[in-house]
Amino acid sequence: MSRSLLAVRHLEAPVLKSLVDRAAELKARVAKDGPAKPARPHVIGLLFFENSTRTRVSFEQAAFYLGHKCVNFNSSGSSLSKGETLKDTILTLKHEGLEAMVIRHNASGACALAAKHFDGPVVNAGDGQHEHPTQALGDALTLLERKGTLTGLKVAIVGDVMHSRVARSNAWLLSKLGNEVRFVGPRTLIPSHTSMLPGQVFYDLRAGIADADVVMCLRLQKERMADGMISSVSEFVRLYQVNRSSVRAAKPDAIVMHPGPLNRGIELDDHVADGAQSGVTQQVTNGVYVRMAALEWVFGEETK
Amino acid sequence: MRTLFKNGRILDPSQDLDVVGSVIVEDSQIAEVGPDIDEGGVDEVYDCTGFWITPGLVDMHTHLREPGHERRETIKSGTQAAAAGGFTTICCMPNTSPALDNAALVDFILDKAAAPEAGGVFVAPVGALTVGNEGAVIADLAALKKAGIVAASDEDAPVQDSRVMLRAMEFALQLDLPLMLHCDDRALSRGGSMNDGATSAMLGLRGVPRSAEVTMIMRNCELALNTGCRIHIMRVSTWGGVEAIRQFKYLGAPVTCEIAPHHFVFTDEAVGEFDPNFKTTPPLRTQVDIDILLQALNDGTIDCIASDHSPYAPFEVEVPFEEAPFGLVGLESTVAASLTYLTQRGVLSPLETVRKLSTAPAEVLRLDAGTLRPGRTPVAQITVVDPNKEWTFDVNRTFSRGKNSPFHGTTFQGKAVVTYCGNEIYRDPGFSDERYRLALA
Repeated sequence: MSRSLLAVRHLEAPVLKSLVDRAAELKARVAKDGPAKPARPHVIGLLFFENSTRTRVSFEQAAFYLGHKCVNFNSSGSSLSKGETLKDTILTLKHEGLEAMVIRHNASGACALAAKHFDGPVVNAGDGQHEHPTQALGDALTLLERKGTLTGLKVAIVGDVMHSRVARSNAWLLSKLGNEVRFVGPRTLIPSHTSMLPGQVFYDLRAGIADADVVMCLRLQKERMADGMISSVSEFVRLYQVNRSSVRAAKPDAIVMHPGPLNRGIELDDHVADGAQSGVTQQVTNGVYVRMAALEWVFGEETK
Repeated sequence: MRTLFKNGRILDPSQDLDVVGSVIVEDSQIAEVGPDIDEGGVDEVYDCTGFWITPGLVDMHTHLREPGHERRETIKSGTQAAAAGGFTTICCMPNTSPALDNAALVDFILDKAAAPEAGGVFVAPVGALTVGNEGAVIADLAALKKAGIVAASDEDAPVQDSRVMLRAMEFALQLDLPLMLHCDDRALSRGGSMNDGATSAMLGLRGVPRSAEVTMIMRNCELALNTGCRIHIMRVSTWGGVEAIRQFKYLGAPVTCEIAPHHFVFTDEAVGEFDPNFKTTPPLRTQVDIDILLQALNDGTIDCIASDHSPYAPFEVEVPFEEAPFGLVGLESTVAASLTYLTQRGVLSPLETVRKLSTAPAEVLRLDAGTLRPGRTPVAQITVVDPNKEWTFDVNRTFSRGKNSPFHGTTFQGKAVVTYCGNEIYRDPGFSDERYRLALA
């Protein structure tokens, strides 16, 4: 039975936990045996309507380890740039024999629309400001490895929460698994109505990360600065940068995370980004294995 | 030719008439109305027992899309949808392509609407307030009025420059022309695709704050108060907006307003999983807003109900929510939604419901419509309503080319079953042959 992975919000805790656990198993298996030879390889379309080398490569690598084939599709120079709609593109690729779609799009909900028309497994690789489920799953695997648990942690998500799909997916995932979630950032970058988001809001960095087990920094987009959502980069740095000074508010063994790519010296200083507390490179590594787990899950089959 | 509508509940707000009786139409004009009239010598009979006989309904806010966007709607399909929805007069908006900013286009619309193959309803065009609906240069309102417009508007491209709006009101006042104003401060709403609230935060959609509507309503009301220009606020959606209108009415500003059914039925949570059939401007709000909007309907602060019929071709709507156009179809669901969610629930009496759907919009725009008084309309305009008919709205069985309706699949209680505009222009299949017969046959 195939299914789509569109949003963490729709998934129950046992499913999330099993995906993370399966990713851990796959990580061990790949280290030992290398790529698998599945009984039935699948052809997976990677549709990236937004540039994202790291996520695309991560999915390609995951598919390679599972023994599947990837077909890349870029929006520039494609039929979309000639006026074709997303629906028509999806229908075309479906009838060309693609068996699953991994989609990144700059519009929230685009993956849900694609799933409606594709009538087969769709994996959300980031849709607008909505969700980025496999990023959150990779973060969860990193937390499991570093903290030994995925329950009972205090997690602070810091920075541009309003525009972050990573923040939403992580907030849903971690709250569903029984962790305390906090959103930390300036008022202009926190949604003004958060009652349907699973987390408590803090506008002060040190109060928000006090006693935190996990500090998740979010990428600050340059256009937010141009749009006046922060008064200046230097002010953001002064008030919200996680650095050797501010990180002391968190627990001494807190892990500091970032979905990348880093704006070095803005969200994190070098000391923290490259220090012992950093989980950044581990997040990237684990992204591959959770994407393997995700692809297995959407196809409804476990590879050997 | 004498036509009898008999034994119905006559609801005519223009005469404060709520009585069981009959209406006689003679040579396309209303001849007699009331409980005790001579029903002899008629040629055809509509048996309206258990039904309402109302003045033909008036929709002051419709998009016919022609010229320029015929894939969405045409004057023919739009007027047919209006007739099926119970409307005998509709006002079409000027955001066509090109915009309705010159007299020749007004002539074009009036000619097409009067063609035999059209729906048979009266079309009252609303002209562009500024050239091209671009908000900079005020259109030739005098020429447009002479050609037949009943109001001016820049519709969903509201004038942002306050000085331009002030001048526009001064011109309009001189011409005794009302302005129909969509109130949206684009600096505040820019980029938003739904109400700024908990649901938009959850879905990761950029929000349109209430303040985008409220601040622009206050600006426009303040200018109207100062100039004396009549303004009509289109599709009010926020509790703050309606409170502002209430205050300015109290101060004596010549302001009226309307609401569209989707704004008193659905909250922003209806967007669900990014359903573009619930994307409109202004966006669907919250239950707090709906509660206050219902109060304002009840106490008369909201004068009219309008469809805000905004059709799009299906392929235009089958896109990611943020890329979908703003707007929903409504001509064929407005009456049923009003009856179901207002009258049946006691928010409005039957007479007040008819007032907001007929007499009030006619009065706001000074149209020859909205009344059953003999000789007050060019021809008899009558709508027969079955207030108890249960039916399920299927957008695939409508006349409009647009299928983007939030009410698809909704079971309504109440329906317009006969629309009469000098002659019968629509009869619901449920209005049986036994109820309609030729008297001499």
